[in-house]
Amino acid sequence: MKNKILRSVLMVLIWTFGSLTMLSAQGSYSNFNDLTDRLNQLNSNYGDLVSLESLDETADGREIWVLTIGSGDIENHPAVAVVGGAKGSHIFGSELALTFAEKLLARSNTDEVSELLETTTFYVFPRLNPDATEHYFADLKYERDVNTISTNEDRDDAFDEDPFEDLNGDNLITMMRVEDETGKWKMLEEDNRLMTQADITKGEQGNYHVFTEGMDNDKDGAFNEDGEGGVNINKNFTFDYPYFEPGAGENMASQIETRAILDFLFEEASNVFSVVTFGPANNLSSPLRFNRGAVSQRVITGWYEEDVAVNSLVSEAYNEITNLDYAPANSGQQGDLFQWAYFHYGRFSFSTPGWAVPEVMDEEGNSQKFESTDAKFLVWAEQQGMDAFVDWQEVNHPDFPNKTVEVGGIKPYVSFNPPYSAVDSLAESHTDFLIKLAGMKPNVQLVNFETEEAGRNLTRISVDVHNSGILPTAARLGERTNWVKEVILKLELSGNLELVSGDVLETIESIEGDGSLTQTWLVRGNGSFTISAGAPNTGISTIEQTIR
Amino acid sequence: MKNIKYTLLLIVCMGLGFGLNQTAEAQVTEGVFPAAGSPANPEVHASWNKYYDYQGITELTAALAEAHPNLIKRESIGKSYEGRDIWLMTVTNFNEGNADRKPAMYIDGNIHSNEIQGTEVSLYTAWYLAEMYGDNDFITQLLDEKTFYIVPTINPDGRENFFKAPNTASSPRSGVKPIDNDLDGEVNEDGYDDLNGDGSITMMRRKNPRGQFVEHPEYPELMQRVGSDQFGEYELLGYEGLDNDGDGRINEDGEGYYDPNRDWGWKWQPDYIQGGAHKYPFSLPENRAVKDFVMKHPNIAAAQSYHNSGGMILRGPGAAEDVGTYNRQDVQVYNALGEMGERLMPGYNYLIVYQDLYSVFGGELDWFYGIRGAFTFTNELWTSFEMFNETDRSRTGSYEFNKHLLFNDALVEWEPYNHPQYGEIEIGGTKKTFGRAHPGFLLEQMAHRNMAFTVYHAYHTPNLVIDEISEKDLGGGLKEVTAVITNTRMIPTHASHDLRNNISPPNYVSIDGARVEAGMIVNNRDLNQTTEQKRNPSKLEVDNVPGMGSVTVRWIISRGNNYTITVDSQKGGVVSKSN
Repeated sequence: MKNKILRSVLMVLIWTFGSLTMLSAQGSYSNFNDLTDRLNQLNSNYGDLVSLESLDETADGREIWVLTIGSGDIENHPAVAVVGGAKGSHIFGSELALTFAEKLLARSNTDEVSELLETTTFYVFPRLNPDATEHYFADLKYERDVNTISTNEDRDDAFDEDPFEDLNGDNLITMMRVEDETGKWKMLEEDNRLMTQADITKGEQGNYHVFTEGMDNDKDGAFNEDGEGGVNINKNFTFDYPYFEPGAGENMASQIETRAILDFLFEEASNVFSVVTFGPANNLSSPLRFNRGAVSQRVITGWYEEDVAVNSLVSEAYNEITNLDYAPANSGQQGDLFQWAYFHYGRFSFSTPGWAVPEVMDEEGNSQKFESTDAKFLVWAEQQGMDAFVDWQEVNHPDFPNKTVEVGGIKPYVSFNPPYSAVDSLAESHTDFLIKLAGMKPNVQLVNFETEEAGRNLTRISVDVHNSGILPTAARLGERTNWVKEVILKLELSGNLELVSGDVLETIESIEGDGSLTQTWLVRGNGSFTISAGAPNTGISTIEQTIR
Repeated sequence: MKNIKYTLLLIVCMGLGFGLNQTAEAQVTEGVFPAAGSPANPEVHASWNKYYDYQGITELTAALAEAHPNLIKRESIGKSYEGRDIWLMTVTNFNEGNADRKPAMYIDGNIHSNEIQGTEVSLYTAWYLAEMYGDNDFITQLLDEKTFYIVPTINPDGRENFFKAPNTASSPRSGVKPIDNDLDGEVNEDGYDDLNGDGSITMMRRKNPRGQFVEHPEYPELMQRVGSDQFGEYELLGYEGLDNDGDGRINEDGEGYYDPNRDWGWKWQPDYIQGGAHKYPFSLPENRAVKDFVMKHPNIAAAQSYHNSGGMILRGPGAAEDVGTYNRQDVQVYNALGEMGERLMPGYNYLIVYQDLYSVFGGELDWFYGIRGAFTFTNELWTSFEMFNETDRSRTGSYEFNKHLLFNDALVEWEPYNHPQYGEIEIGGTKKTFGRAHPGFLLEQMAHRNMAFTVYHAYHTPNLVIDEISEKDLGGGLKEVTAVITNTRMIPTHASHDLRNNISPPNYVSIDGARVEAGMIVNNRDLNQTTEQKRNPSKLEVDNVPGMGSVTVRWIISRGNNYTITVDSQKGGVVSKSN
């Protein structure tokens, strides 16, 4: 007895201490161990609302975590999948997904969120390519999107034979420029620290070669073309897969990380109605545009008109909440998660980098125009007091014995991962957005239920199946794939009730937002019956009644 | 004495059926006269007029590996959905060279559950090659030079289901992972029902004076539609079955359904574009096992997969959208092989999938060529031509064949049955053993002809020889060494699709035992046109050695009188020659 109490006290102490260290550790982006601690913390603090599961382990033994948030019959509540870190170097996306989960759960004592979680499920995948993301914390920093599977990126006879080298000893991999009149690069006028390709059609001539920082280890004429690893999970999905490209892997869906999320979403999460990716693609600041040609071929490459309309609606809500409408549009890249979620999973797929270099104001408070996004970034960084640039510094380079070689450039990671101090407020507004999106979910209800005598011993049953949500029960594309469940309308009879007319089971491809359809049955005799309607991604509504 | 005891033990074991060759027939060692082109007295007795189930395949492949340890090794490349081992045999002369560095041919069968005889062709091929090795010079040389990777069935679960569950000749095509086909929330809840308990799913008919069908006068199992101005005697009610789930439909959600041959990751498309596709390429364990094996064996230069039916030798592209992948040089090689196939397999036509069959994504043959650059065919085994050795387009041909050559063994005569939904009906028709699978007496011939085609295909994987090494003194202590490398077969070391995408590394031609000052590829020897390789000139990179073609290389050396030239080619093998 005494022991038990003692242990409990000890536990509380450990817990308090643990959470204190956790809070204090959050002055910077979380490495994998910190991320795991924070997930475990949520799991122990909100045990009745969350479950934490490892889908698989990466080559380096890191778990691919999914945190399921919700209460009740979570598998049959419409769900939003929130994914961070598919692009490994975008650690902010990973942080945003995780912090969203923390903020959502912190609000679970409010009526709004606790009611939401009774009817809605969130699947949070906070770090999809943890082996790549962990490189953010390595001693030698470079923007790494690939996992640690050894690959032959330049398709020669050697694996991982030409990595980066830190020539100026600053532990950062930046760029390298070589003065040479045959070079095609020149200094950018807007900011002469930056290099740009000369445009001969404008009469410009180049006087530099530009490479990433390193040596040509295998003397094949290419610099750093086959470093450590690996496969970029955000290039390994099945839509528009970039065959034979560096970082794509030898086959689509070939990686543990890719298959882990694919198998989970296909097999265990048929209730997902929307996938939100925190990554490079952006159809939230500006919605995608409809292109009839792209949907008029066998292999469609654009969103259906109805789905574009939903994108516009959601984008409007996003901009209203986050004020990130200035973030550049980006319709995705080959083999990414964002496009897969629409084209091959059939769900409403939304993506945002979550942050972009804000407008830069001049002294008069007017928005400054830039030709180069890097130039804009550097001005902004300077205003923030950030040290974002490694000044060009001459180095001796064995591959260029008689040339002037300098190393310098924008530091890795900083141009698309905001300073950690920005995370909290961005996570706050993105939590508001995800709650708003969840509130738009398809929601099938049985309404206007009636039974009437239809003659001797005959009863007519009628009911309206109503989607009281804003979004349709299936995207237009989702209607086409069997991976999006149809709404099932079912009548089950017991006692001596017999069906005279009507179908015991009907499947409905889609009901638009605020749409409905009427169903009637004619039954004979007496007994009880149950009507149910819905699908995992719309919720399931049930009515029971007895005819005497 | 010891020997006698051992022999006795063996006899006892064999008598009890413990031996590996536990077939009923006794091994006849005397009293036979060899028939041309067949192993007269094989180590492993196998018969080719019946089908091997999973246990049979497991035993036969084990027996082959046991009887021919230097020619056949067996391994499991993975487990099926239901946990069966997927057996692969590596067939080559293991005493000559490294099996995984020889130009290789991959062969499999039975990807569709009901398309069973590819397994027998695959088993026959392994058996034939091993049993003929040493007796036949051509086969001996073939196994010295080449490696065969043979997977008799890449779908053992489906094969067992076809044999052991009630099926038609066409079911199941799918693997056995349960799928909700009618989207009602239940899986496999309303498949066929073997109402008359004969192991086959045949047809249901009902007497109806307003029906559209009558019996054929000579072959009563054949129902014929009457003229549009007439009434017949029967209506047809489809395949044997019940409305098991009470939804008002019969047989609408049976075994499967997905198509394992829409699961391969070259230009793969999802279900709404390509029916039968599953979650993503290689989401099915059987194909994944093959993919993983093939990715680890880049020496595979050619591949063959066996299906049924229709008498076809198919090449890609599968999809019209993929036409650009196949270009002229490669098509010429395909044509030469395919046309030989038409000759070796009377009644079979060499066809292009998207153009002559249907336009389809995610097929195995496209993956082998698209991802690995391996020249690949799919044969559709069994054609009605094989019944009377003539093109047969009549409806009665197969009934006549069944009556006079199979003595009615392929048919179930009509028998009455009281059906819960349809009332009094009759059940009868063609058994699952006929229509797509070969009848026993034709199975061995078909297996041999198809094997001969793959042997021809495998023979024409690259064979590199160093034709010439010559020297010229340049004075000043320099010598010029010129070597000619020839591919004596039709398949290039690099398909043009391979070259375009750098699928395989280049062929490396290196010189050992000389001090190399410079190295170059000779583009035109007579006119002295060369391309120098500055980096690492002692190891020249040769993009391709074309089929039936040569490549000339040259080094300028300053030292070395005895040197060795080695050609190292991923799909063409490794050869060396000293001056």
